[in-house]
Amino acid sequence: MIGTSALVDNASASQSRQVFWDKDVYQLEIERIFSRCWLFLGHESLVPKPGDYLTTYMAQDRVILSHQADGTFKAFINSCTHRGNQICHADSGNAKAFVCNYHGWVFGQDGSLVDVPLESRCYHAELDKSSHGLTQVRVESYKGFIFGCHDPEAPSLQEYLGEYCWYLDTIWDGPDGGLELLGPPMKSLLSCNWKVPTENFIGDGYHVGWTHAAALQMIGGELAGLSGNRADMPFDDLGLQFTMRHGHGFGLIDNAASAIHVKRDGYVKYLEDTRAGIRDKFGPERERLYVGHWNASIFPNCSFLYGTNTFKIWHPRSPHEIEVWTYTLVPRGADIETKRSIQREAIRSFGTAGTLESDDGENMSSATYNNNGYITRQGRMNSSMGLGREGPHPVYPGIVGLSFIGETSYRGFYRFWREMLEAPDWDAIRAGDATWDAMWTNRNFWTDRAKEQQALSQD
Amino acid sequence: MSEARKPVGMELHHAIVSHYAAEARTLQNQQYRDWFDTFIAEDIHYWMPVYEQRFVRDRRSEPTPDDAAIYNDDYGELRQRVDRLLTGQVWMEDPPSRIRYFVTNVEAFETRPGEFDAFSNVLVHRNRRQSEVYVHTLGREDKLRRTESGFKVFRRKMILDARVVQDKNLYFFV
Repeated sequence: MIGTSALVDNASASQSRQVFWDKDVYQLEIERIFSRCWLFLGHESLVPKPGDYLTTYMAQDRVILSHQADGTFKAFINSCTHRGNQICHADSGNAKAFVCNYHGWVFGQDGSLVDVPLESRCYHAELDKSSHGLTQVRVESYKGFIFGCHDPEAPSLQEYLGEYCWYLDTIWDGPDGGLELLGPPMKSLLSCNWKVPTENFIGDGYHVGWTHAAALQMIGGELAGLSGNRADMPFDDLGLQFTMRHGHGFGLIDNAASAIHVKRDGYVKYLEDTRAGIRDKFGPERERLYVGHWNASIFPNCSFLYGTNTFKIWHPRSPHEIEVWTYTLVPRGADIETKRSIQREAIRSFGTAGTLESDDGENMSSATYNNNGYITRQGRMNSSMGLGREGPHPVYPGIVGLSFIGETSYRGFYRFWREMLEAPDWDAIRAGDATWDAMWTNRNFWTDRAKEQQALSQD
Repeated sequence: MSEARKPVGMELHHAIVSHYAAEARTLQNQQYRDWFDTFIAEDIHYWMPVYEQRFVRDRRSEPTPDDAAIYNDDYGELRQRVDRLLTGQVWMEDPPSRIRYFVTNVEAFETRPGEFDAFSNVLVHRNRRQSEVYVHTLGREDKLRRTESGFKVFRRKMILDARVVQDKNLYFFV
């Protein structure tokens, strides 16, 4: 494996192609990222009642997320502590217990081992059931979004999301109860590295006009002008990009929340009716976010489009394959017809037969698989768009990039990706908290720009 | 089977089987506009629900069109999907892929004069680029209406067998 400074060069904003290909890099990611970061498990709305559960993955580990009798959530590894058989093969359900198909061991909804067949006759009561519960996962939730983590040294979920909470509150708290997820998820396999779609969602405003040219032309609306990249639009004034301490990020397209939806009357009305409440609760800078379209990722591997309202998990299966899960985000406070309409439009555009989703698969697979060529994978990838046109912002936390088309969020994602691969533990990460954004050397970008704009408007 | 109704006679059965073969050939020839104009009724509901893996004792009720579905289109929405393919800007279909349909197990029952419930199995075989191969199997539950020119489908429910779809997308008509 080549060294991390060759994998990610922050100064030149480039990465080795090995980041998408090398199996040792992947193994290091499993150990240092997926075993130490908070990974998305589900939303409380998917498991609303005691006994409700769903099965999912944390990287390649199979996990059960279970709603407990006392209203809390637990997650545990879906593998029997006897000989390892998968306990639960259902996607979801309601159960007070899980029974292993192999020898009939019974686990409670909290993962504890409650019953073992032939216990007195064959185990002679010598088996200590209390030490054979299913391996527990640390679970926390933020505004109904539930995450799991294997590392007891990792910060709390809220500290891990960090300044992203300031942004997420706008929609995850929202005007009235925030967001929920609608399932069941669509699931598909895609032959690509997990970081290819993550980086696409975190910061790729650039591909929208070209990859999705056909769909944009078909849909019309606000973004139709991007189709074919013929647009002569003032991109600098149409959005922003954001990246954060722990690699999370998103891109914002102003005033475009529902732009991908065709039948959108209910949702448009909902946003109009509630935006004043957002302005009162969170201020005008976050009202701007509320009515804009977000392309977002939460480090490491879940993403969403707010506005379009698709929610994705990129479950890694190997260095070159993922399982894509797709849910829909809906505002809890919207009426049922609006929620259904949002779901139909979100899936129409970004489901497994999505009018936009169907454009992306080959780009992502090909960007991974071309690296099976020996010479090809010696090369580098470029993410320097807008380098330097970014920096700390007087209002928006993290590092903010100019325009809705640029690669600020890519640079922030790979910066933290490299940091996680290099760090022996979370203490080492915390030691870097004060200087995490040092690589953005232009500390005055936004104040200088504000002065320029003011001078221009006075001419 | 609790169904006591009589299937259609030989001539009608033959007509429906031929209809399905003609539909498949139209799609195989990428004549999407022709397919839409010839085979799809204006009151179409084109529907592919999402089914979960659930324990038998813990089943959810059958999905409805209000639930998550991979396709859930009316006439205008299906036409938009055709329009997208005809823009010439779907890069993943240039060079074009090949798709081949194997429609079998056709059964048809007359429900009302000139209207039929028709069931079939479909195997969809896609070859893309140099060596990509994707295979899908699904069941189709159609409602067909006889017209002067043949049949048109006004309800199509597609039941995909795979829980985890092994393909880059399911953007093809079936």
